[in-house]
Amino acid sequence: MTIFLRMLLAVGMACGALAPAGGIDAAAAKSLDIVFVSPGKTGEVYWDMVAQTMRAAGRKLDAHVEVLTSERNYRTMQELGFGVVARADKPDFLILSNEESAAVPILEAAEAAGVRTLLLSNTLIGEDATRFGPPRQKLRTWLGDITTDLQTAGARMANALITTARAEKWQSPDGKIHILGIGGDEITPASIARNAGLKLAADAAPDVVVDRMLFANWTQSEAEHVTANYLGWAARKEIRPAGIWAGNDPMALGALRAIAAAGLIPGRNIEVVGLNWSDDALREIKAGRLLLTDGGHFLLGGWSIVLLRDYADGCDFADASPRVEVKTSAITRDNLGSVGDLIKTRAFDRIDFTRFRAKAGQCGRYDFSLDALISSLALPDGVGD
Amino acid sequence: MTGPDRNAQGAPRRLRSVVGAMIWATVPVLLLVQLLASAGVEATSFWSQIRQLDARIARTAESRAELIAEPLWKMRYDQVTGVLNEIMHDETIAAAAVYDDTGAAIARVVARPSDQAVAEVSRPIKYSNGNIAVQAGRIAIAYSYTTVYADTGSRLLLLLIVGLLATLATVVAIRISANVFIGRPLAAIMSAIQRSKQDGRAYPAEIRSSNEFGQLARAFNAMQHTTSGALDRLGHMASHDPLTGLPNRRSLSERLVTLSGDAGSPDSLIAFCFIDLDDFKGINDTFGHDAGDKFLVHISERLRDAVEPQDWVARLGGDEFVVIRPEVSNEATAQAFARQLLDAISEPIRLHDKQVVPRASIGLAVRRAGDPELSHLPALADIALYHAKSKAPGTVAVLDEALQRDYRRRRDLELAIPAGFAEGQFEVWYQGQVDLESAAVVGLEALIRWRHPDHGVIGPGEFLPLIERSGNNARLTRYVLTDACRALQRLAAAGRPDIRIAINLPPSELADHSLAAELRATCARFDIAASMLELEITEGSLINNIASASETLHRLRRLGATIALDDFGTGYSSLAHLRRFPLDKVKIDKAFISEIPDSAEDKAIVGVIASLAGTLGLTLVAEGIERPEQAAAMREMGVRFGQGFLYQRPQPLAAVLQGLQRRVAEDRVRVDSPSIAPEFAA
Repeated sequence: MTIFLRMLLAVGMACGALAPAGGIDAAAAKSLDIVFVSPGKTGEVYWDMVAQTMRAAGRKLDAHVEVLTSERNYRTMQELGFGVVARADKPDFLILSNEESAAVPILEAAEAAGVRTLLLSNTLIGEDATRFGPPRQKLRTWLGDITTDLQTAGARMANALITTARAEKWQSPDGKIHILGIGGDEITPASIARNAGLKLAADAAPDVVVDRMLFANWTQSEAEHVTANYLGWAARKEIRPAGIWAGNDPMALGALRAIAAAGLIPGRNIEVVGLNWSDDALREIKAGRLLLTDGGHFLLGGWSIVLLRDYADGCDFADASPRVEVKTSAITRDNLGSVGDLIKTRAFDRIDFTRFRAKAGQCGRYDFSLDALISSLALPDGVGD
Repeated sequence: MTGPDRNAQGAPRRLRSVVGAMIWATVPVLLLVQLLASAGVEATSFWSQIRQLDARIARTAESRAELIAEPLWKMRYDQVTGVLNEIMHDETIAAAAVYDDTGAAIARVVARPSDQAVAEVSRPIKYSNGNIAVQAGRIAIAYSYTTVYADTGSRLLLLLIVGLLATLATVVAIRISANVFIGRPLAAIMSAIQRSKQDGRAYPAEIRSSNEFGQLARAFNAMQHTTSGALDRLGHMASHDPLTGLPNRRSLSERLVTLSGDAGSPDSLIAFCFIDLDDFKGINDTFGHDAGDKFLVHISERLRDAVEPQDWVARLGGDEFVVIRPEVSNEATAQAFARQLLDAISEPIRLHDKQVVPRASIGLAVRRAGDPELSHLPALADIALYHAKSKAPGTVAVLDEALQRDYRRRRDLELAIPAGFAEGQFEVWYQGQVDLESAAVVGLEALIRWRHPDHGVIGPGEFLPLIERSGNNARLTRYVLTDACRALQRLAAAGRPDIRIAINLPPSELADHSLAAELRATCARFDIAASMLELEITEGSLINNIASASETLHRLRRLGATIALDDFGTGYSSLAHLRRFPLDKVKIDKAFISEIPDSAEDKAIVGVIASLAGTLGLTLVAEGIERPEQAAAMREMGVRFGQGFLYQRPQPLAAVLQGLQRRVAEDRVRVDSPSIAPEFAA
């Protein structure tokens, strides 16, 4: 399977190399040397996909992307980072993710060595943020960061539930629409942002009550457990549960299992939403049991290369803001067909990253929406022209 | 020792010690107080424990509620159960349950089924975060008081045991301290008292402490000291004569006990001198009792001076002294010693500027130290003294076989007196009184005789003192009186109603006021006139009891009896008596008659008496006329009547009556009738 995939990739690269770069002054372009120190593990879906989109984009945008994996060890991550910074042949850009604030020493080392850095997915927070201020001030080589807007994602997921419930008239005897929220945890910024989105949406809807915000540690089984508890409680309270908001796809799948166990039919008398664009979630969407899964943030890998290409070519994204926040998108049954395969097969070379580069005079303005993505997609090889 | 005392000693009440009584009085109270205090403390503790348990469980419920709030609210029911399970380590908790806001039991744990004393506490579970504050549910905990009960029970048992041990310890402490501080001092005092009781000496109690018992002991010892002195003085007084300072009769008894032991050997001779002063009564009467006492002191000093250091002098009382010489070589030296004592006594003494020559009689008894009858020495010496006093006053009489024989005879007779009365051994004989002119019998004197079965006929001189000493005087007098009355009857019957009978009245009878009445009654019984009776009294009986005698005599005389003064001229003859008492007759003692007509002095005395009697109108009777010359001399001196062997010996009434018959026939007095016994008539 892997060999087959590699062959596909090789073919794709060859195709890309052969195809003429549209809109870009190819003569002025210089090949970039980019190193990404991944905090994740080999096999960890999200970070793998980030790296894959990075490489795919590199191939499209003449950038050599070297991915170093920390294997979830932040000391290793720092050593890798220091090693990169200390190289005689320094890369043009170093991409880091500030998980657990472990990237800060590398940022400083890079500053000293004059290596330009970009923070991906996790930027400086707390004391570090105050200490160093915005990018390119104290750390002049820290170009900026690229993150996803998960609060909007949370709100979008909630609103999808509310809209469906209103349409189906799933109000409880008290006239309210009762929703259960299942968060991953209560401390990580990624979780807090999503949960805040739920609260934002619920607060904006007077006919909606979030009965509980339960936490399931991002896992399916715990989510199934708390959902079962909730459903039991709701039955005793004579509440008609209208929807379950889950902070990620596994927890949404757990909720689905509990719903089934409680004798309810998801998609028919209760709706569940998730986040992550996972294969299983897409399958449930296709089966009509899951209302949507929000996500697409693994594309940050590809988008980061787009930013750096533009920057290297003189179109600095900081013209708009050194901080680029990418909106996620929901996959529903409606758009499932367009991106389902892409995600399933990880055929990221189908994405034409060159189309996402900033227009001249509009540096820092990007459209990374799902629609833009869909329209950029080349037809899969197997599908034929 | 008196009766009640002996009873008290014979059956002493069971002793209950002060210490025991203290313990009995203290321990129940102590035990009760301890038990009550324990129970009180334990009850308080029990309620406090119950309250504490309630509070603790409530706190547990509250703290668990806080812990449970979040997992409950967040529906992590496994965590809720986990938290709930943790509290089950508390063994008082029987069960616990958590209910959510719908009332459904989210978690329930039961530690152990408890069927007794289960209490329940319930607390709300409140959940709040930044946005909301809600009651997420309720926690209920059921818990048991069993541990408190068990704790209380075991503690109560412990307290009980501790209390009992404490009481025991207290008892032991009381026992020991009371023994030390009370029992021992009391025992010391009791011991001193017991020892003092045993030998009559005053022993001090050995207590040295300075507490109350020490003070008591000091006071007791001071008292013992005082008592000791008093006892010594009392002992001295008990054994010594206060007047002369000599040992007394009591000492003599003690001395006799130790006498044999004090002697050198069993064969050594002990001389016991019983000294009786002669006529000490006269000295008392003449010089007064103070002088008499002084006299006795003199005598005691002389005796003291006369004896050797080993000799022993005592005053038995009155005028009786005893001197014991514990070792004499033989009886002769003992006699010499006794005479030496007499000589010492006989030195003249000045009393009220008058020279008085003391006289004394001594009864001497000499016995071997080993003689088992040593304790009889006083009695033996007394026998000798009796002899000396009665036979030869102012001399030493040595106890010999004869004296002892006399003594034994006297004692035999004395013991035989009751039998003598009972068996009619006493006989009344009669001796005629005659008209010296006509030799005609005009009266009879009743004279008592004792026909003893062993000793034969005994004269009154021997047994009358014994009768008197045995207190049978009155009985004998009544006996004689009755016999005399019967004799008068027979005389009258024999044609001689003119003959009167004289009865001797002993001195003691004169003091008896009932005599007159008795005499009258007896006369009435035999139908005879009292005037036929003549009552003879001695001068001695008058002197000893003048007032009483006078009264009795007057009564008798009023009855018609004649009163005769017997043995006139002997003793303390006082002519004043002749006038003072109602006398009819005077009997001249035979001592004055026996030497007549040879003694001119006696003739002169009798002449004076006769003329005095004539002057006073008294009838005279001469006693002891044994020869015709005497009768003639009496007639010459005007003595009308006589009595004596010349005319008639005392004889039984029958013989008297025969004689009278014969006299009637012959009109002559037979003078040679044989004598049966010597005439001892007093």
